[in-house]
Amino acid sequence: MTDINPEKIELDMEMTSRNLDDSPISLLEKIKKEGRVWDDLSEQYGVDNPDPPWKVGLDSTCDVLAELSCSQPLPALERRWEEDELSKKLYADVPFPERQLLALAHSMIRRGLIDEGDLARHMKIVDKRLNMV
Amino acid sequence: MAEKKIEGEHLHPPAAMVDEVSEFEILEIAVRELAIEKGLFSADDHRRWSDYMETVGPLPAGRLVAKAWLDPEFKKLAVTDGIKASLSVGIDWINDMPSSFGTPSDYCNLRVLEDTPKLKHVVVCTLCSCYPRPILGQSPEWYRTPNYRRRIVRWPRQVLSEFGLQLPEDVEVRVEDSNQKSRFIVLPVRPEGTEGWTEDQLAEIVTRDCLIGVAVPKPDKTANDKRSVHPAINPVEHH
Repeated sequence: MTDINPEKIELDMEMTSRNLDDSPISLLEKIKKEGRVWDDLSEQYGVDNPDPPWKVGLDSTCDVLAELSCSQPLPALERRWEEDELSKKLYADVPFPERQLLALAHSMIRRGLIDEGDLARHMKIVDKRLNMV
Repeated sequence: MAEKKIEGEHLHPPAAMVDEVSEFEILEIAVRELAIEKGLFSADDHRRWSDYMETVGPLPAGRLVAKAWLDPEFKKLAVTDGIKASLSVGIDWINDMPSSFGTPSDYCNLRVLEDTPKLKHVVVCTLCSCYPRPILGQSPEWYRTPNYRRRIVRWPRQVLSEFGLQLPEDVEVRVEDSNQKSRFIVLPVRPEGTEGWTEDQLAEIVTRDCLIGVAVPKPDKTANDKRSVHPAINPVEHH
């Protein structure tokens, strides 16, 4: 026996009627194509942690975007719906949680929360910082 | 010449570690820092939340079940007031999460679903991936997929059998749909062969999958199986 809350069906219908710009974003396409996923890295280096170390940071970003009491820049339900849609259409071949990360960045860019050019520039800064050893 | 031992020197080989920075790691940091720069949240908000998330995992829920197996009075408390019972395993649903995030009522109804030999519960969130994170940690990938979310409510026996759980026809399967207010964990039937076991021993066999309801505890099993993840093929239909 399964009782699905009718409220949920309504919410699901509301979500599926929303518009999502799922056209590819060149920066994210490049990362999708060239980025090395955790499954490959952990196998190569013999690490047995199933999740990449950055996953907690990703989950926390998703949570604080959704949970901040006043502004809620990216509500959890909308983000999860968009993640499902983008996972199906654009990022199907990318493993989890890399797929979740690409979908989050996609949603934030398409909603105007961050800008693709700014993100590309900031990635270069982070890259330089992390590789400065 | 004899080697001189240095105080505090590591005597074991170093743990394996990934010795390169991936584009995904860079992307995660860049997205977060840019969001902070744009004022979407503060660095302190993010740090407090990630500190909290580092502490959550499935162990408290497993211990809650073990306690319930050993103590009938505690079992009564668990199935009637999951929030109060959680305190006994160190989880305070009201006060543990960093303050200023969300409203407690969004999270604060934990229900503990008691299985019997003729009734098997299994948990899903049909809409997204609501999950009792304070007591069970982060949800596994398969739990988040539309494939699991859609099929478990339509064909629960089939999906459970794909998880290796074959249920006799006379066992009723009840699928519980999580929502913003209510989260669920399953209190499975204590398996035979665990008579005289301590709470620690019992807690070890209550895996995450047992607590979601897609597996049952076994005396010789202390880990979850690795699951394949499949895309959803059938579109959502509302009748």
